[in-house]
Amino acid sequence: MADKTIVITRFDPDKDQAPRKQEYKVPCEPDWKVLDAINFIKDELDGSVAHRWSCRMAVCGSCGMMVNGEPKLTCKTSINDYGDRVDIEPLANFPIVRDLVVDLDGFMHKFQSVKPWIIRAKEKAADPIAARAALHPVKGTYSQSADQLATFKQFSMCINCMLCYAACPVVANEPEFLGPAAIALGHRYNMDSRDEGQGERNEIFRGEGTVFSCSYANECSEVCPKNVDPAAAVNQAKFGAVIDWAKNLVLPRGGA
Amino acid sequence: MSRPAHPHAMAPHTPGRTRTAPPQMPSTWWSAPRIRNYLLFDATGIVYYLISFLAIGMVQALARGPESWEAVMTRLRHPAYIAFHVLCLVSVVFVAVRFFSLFPKAQPKAIGPIKPPPGPVIHAMLYVVWLGITAIMTAILAGVIF
Repeated sequence: MADKTIVITRFDPDKDQAPRKQEYKVPCEPDWKVLDAINFIKDELDGSVAHRWSCRMAVCGSCGMMVNGEPKLTCKTSINDYGDRVDIEPLANFPIVRDLVVDLDGFMHKFQSVKPWIIRAKEKAADPIAARAALHPVKGTYSQSADQLATFKQFSMCINCMLCYAACPVVANEPEFLGPAAIALGHRYNMDSRDEGQGERNEIFRGEGTVFSCSYANECSEVCPKNVDPAAAVNQAKFGAVIDWAKNLVLPRGGA
Repeated sequence: MSRPAHPHAMAPHTPGRTRTAPPQMPSTWWSAPRIRNYLLFDATGIVYYLISFLAIGMVQALARGPESWEAVMTRLRHPAYIAFHVLCLVSVVFVAVRFFSLFPKAQPKAIGPIKPPPGPVIHAMLYVVWLGITAIMTAILAGVIF
């Protein structure tokens, strides 16, 4: 067990004009994650500290915070990887609601704006007889091969932890930018063989908050805890948006 | 440890639901090694900007005649100009290495039925093309070809 000084950013919207720092001495066990230290503070030292967490196994994406200036999932980050003093702040680039809790509204809106669902020009009619008899188990309404799945599977692993937004230098300076996770999600649906909404999404990618704002700092991919590689998605989306624009220029009515 | 980020970064779509503190970012964001590399990558643009003036000046000297051209050549032998060219060379190599390392994963997984080669092959091809073009340019400037 080692005593560490945990410095937590505090902000009470009813009392504080600006965020302030508060120090806590925490006896850290060798196997503790950063989240364990925050939970210890909350349970044993100061019940007024506000933070988000849920699954404790890097799946829910709730416990993202800045640990010594770097965006981290606190349930996945060992406290003993740091020295005697650990600075824990709310995710950078987000408005702070209270202490370590940030406002998700802007993020959720950006997420929704890329239409993260399967868009079909016309729904395929199901074949109830074939489905009942399981005559064509592979050729279902929205069948997809393993190869087709592989083109986007990586980008569907995002847990919405928002670390990429906290790391992105463009998000910090251009509020309109859609951001890494939203673009990766939109690109994931663009790559989906069952989807027919590439035109709509590419228009969004070229519009306000354009994918071309990304300067490929690659920070989003460096901090991503699930190896989604959003920087790859964003830059592939640039290609997609340009190719789509060129197609529309040459064939304005889609060749019809 | 923190400094203000853009006041509207990740602003709520429906503002005013609750009072929030403005977004912050680490005050030492520029000193992290990865970000430092990224900033250096972008800063090389200044070197290219400066050398473009030198190149324009050389073209103008060429148009003015042999004496003017010789004067420029003499000036370029000055240690300051040599150091500047070394800086340009280092910048170009640095940019190429970083760009080549990031380029393969930015490729679309497929354009219609055509799939690009695997990342390491694209990576190797970039170096082969770069070295090939450099060799051809060197041969032209040395008078080996043409």
